[in-house]
Amino acid sequence: MTTYLIRFSLRQRVEHTLVMSFFLILSVTGLPQKYFDASWARWLINFMGGIDHIRQFHRFAGVSFTLLTAWHLMFAMGAVAAGRSPLSIVPNRQDFDDAIQMMRYYLGRTDQAAKFGRFDYRQKFEYWGLVLGAVVVISTGLILYFPILFTRFFPGELIPAAKVAHSNEGLMAFLVVILWHIYNAHLNPDVFPFDKTIFTGKISLERMHHEHPLELERIKQVRDIEET
Amino acid sequence: MLLTLLFLATVTAQPAPAPQAKPAAPPPAKAADVETCLACHSDRTMAVTLPSGETRSLYVDLETFRSSVHGTKIGCTDCHQDMMTVPHEARPFKSLREFTVAYYEQCKRCHFDNYTKTLDSVHYQATARGDRMAPVCVDCHGAHDVKPPQKPKSQMSTTCAKCHEGVFTVYKKSVHGRFLEQTNDVPGCTDCHRSHDVAGPRNIAWQRRTPELCRTCHENKTLMDKYNLSTAVAQTYVADFHGMTASLHETDPNRTVSVVALCTDCHGVHDIAKVNEPGSRVLRANLVKTCAQCHPGVSDNFPGAWMSHYEPSWKKAPLVYGVQLFYNILIPFMIGGLVLQMLLHFWRVVVNR
Repeated sequence: MTTYLIRFSLRQRVEHTLVMSFFLILSVTGLPQKYFDASWARWLINFMGGIDHIRQFHRFAGVSFTLLTAWHLMFAMGAVAAGRSPLSIVPNRQDFDDAIQMMRYYLGRTDQAAKFGRFDYRQKFEYWGLVLGAVVVISTGLILYFPILFTRFFPGELIPAAKVAHSNEGLMAFLVVILWHIYNAHLNPDVFPFDKTIFTGKISLERMHHEHPLELERIKQVRDIEET
Repeated sequence: MLLTLLFLATVTAQPAPAPQAKPAAPPPAKAADVETCLACHSDRTMAVTLPSGETRSLYVDLETFRSSVHGTKIGCTDCHQDMMTVPHEARPFKSLREFTVAYYEQCKRCHFDNYTKTLDSVHYQATARGDRMAPVCVDCHGAHDVKPPQKPKSQMSTTCAKCHEGVFTVYKKSVHGRFLEQTNDVPGCTDCHRSHDVAGPRNIAWQRRTPELCRTCHENKTLMDKYNLSTAVAQTYVADFHGMTASLHETDPNRTVSVVALCTDCHGVHDIAKVNEPGSRVLRANLVKTCAQCHPGVSDNFPGAWMSHYEPSWKKAPLVYGVQLFYNILIPFMIGGLVLQMLLHFWRVVVNR
């Protein structure tokens, strides 16, 4: 009798834990740099050993995050190239329809909530937001790390522009995670207080039925699952 | 009899500083004191030869003393306390300098606050090391001819130039020094270096306060408007890497050294020039060299990374301005959208229950 499914592989779970850790370090060492004039930022900077230390931590975490992102994208591209990826994270027409239907559902215009596959449109949005954000912070971060190298090939104005982009993109990522991700993974009444799936890899059939019914159906076609 | 008179004169002279006494009519007691001494010291030929071979004239010009700041306020024995008896006791001084240094502490009887300040100065450090040439009060202020130090203001700087001639020559050619005689608006030596508690150029704490020093004038709107200069220079400096680091190092309790470009590292110190005059270090043509002081081997593009104290705008730094504008729109839109979505979801979940 099956009561749960394996939703995330070990690799995915480790990647999530790592990206979460790097994100935390980068936020804690990055945001005080953006708001260095504020008293809380000054306190935090002095508490963590001064601006020079913080910049070193930030660069170290940034390089780690870059390697992780590169690893993830290489793995993903490899899987796509080998035809092993179901491409279930790629947005499609259905996601827009789902989003509109969910809006109508939230507003009480319809009683029918959209039925989702392996990833719903919000999860896809967050994933691609992270990937896109990662590309922005990594590229601008490298420009800020090696300004002398980059100004050999590009105009100097690239440096302050990269700084503006880097700090704003970082702020936006931080706000999205604080508001949106924390809501979806913790405060959302459906999962409150804590959606453990990304850490254990397991999801209950009940939740699959409720949150990813199309994916459950697909699995049922290839595997024999008894529901209790 | 004369001595008793003199003694009484000194004692009675201490209290009751006659408010706004007319300079023309000095207190009679002081006059008596001065007159007593000048009975001998008005002789122009009076002099003493020291063991060093130097000759010290003992002549005192009454008019010079009268027109000094002390002329109507104190008498001879207020400073020359050890000259109460006539004939004076033999003095042990071997040289003129020894004589001057010996009188160093006389001023503190009245000017105690300024005297204590000098103890923190780089000049006193030299004195304490045993350097007899290090300046004491009278070297800058004079003795019988003490004048108000700031009248005219340029006098302060020409006083420093007596010893620091090399630096003064460079300063005189700078954008500040060129106008020293014409206006009180430009900083003289003591405006940056302080006077009694003058800091040495290698004093790190004082060096780190450089932006603060420059700010006192360069953020003064009335003053800067007069010369059509921007008051945003400090703020734009702090907004960029160098200024941010400098400002954080300043409040870092664990930090004693700070290696980061301060105002003077780019603009120069005593040779500071108008930004657009040919010799200026911050002229576009010279900027690569200026940056290369700390960033060796940079390309011609590199100085463009610094926005030259400008706030980003479509005219200056359009790329920076554009990126900022993009995020100013995107972030509220994104966060607003997500919060709305969250609230709708939450509301629906609650309603469904």
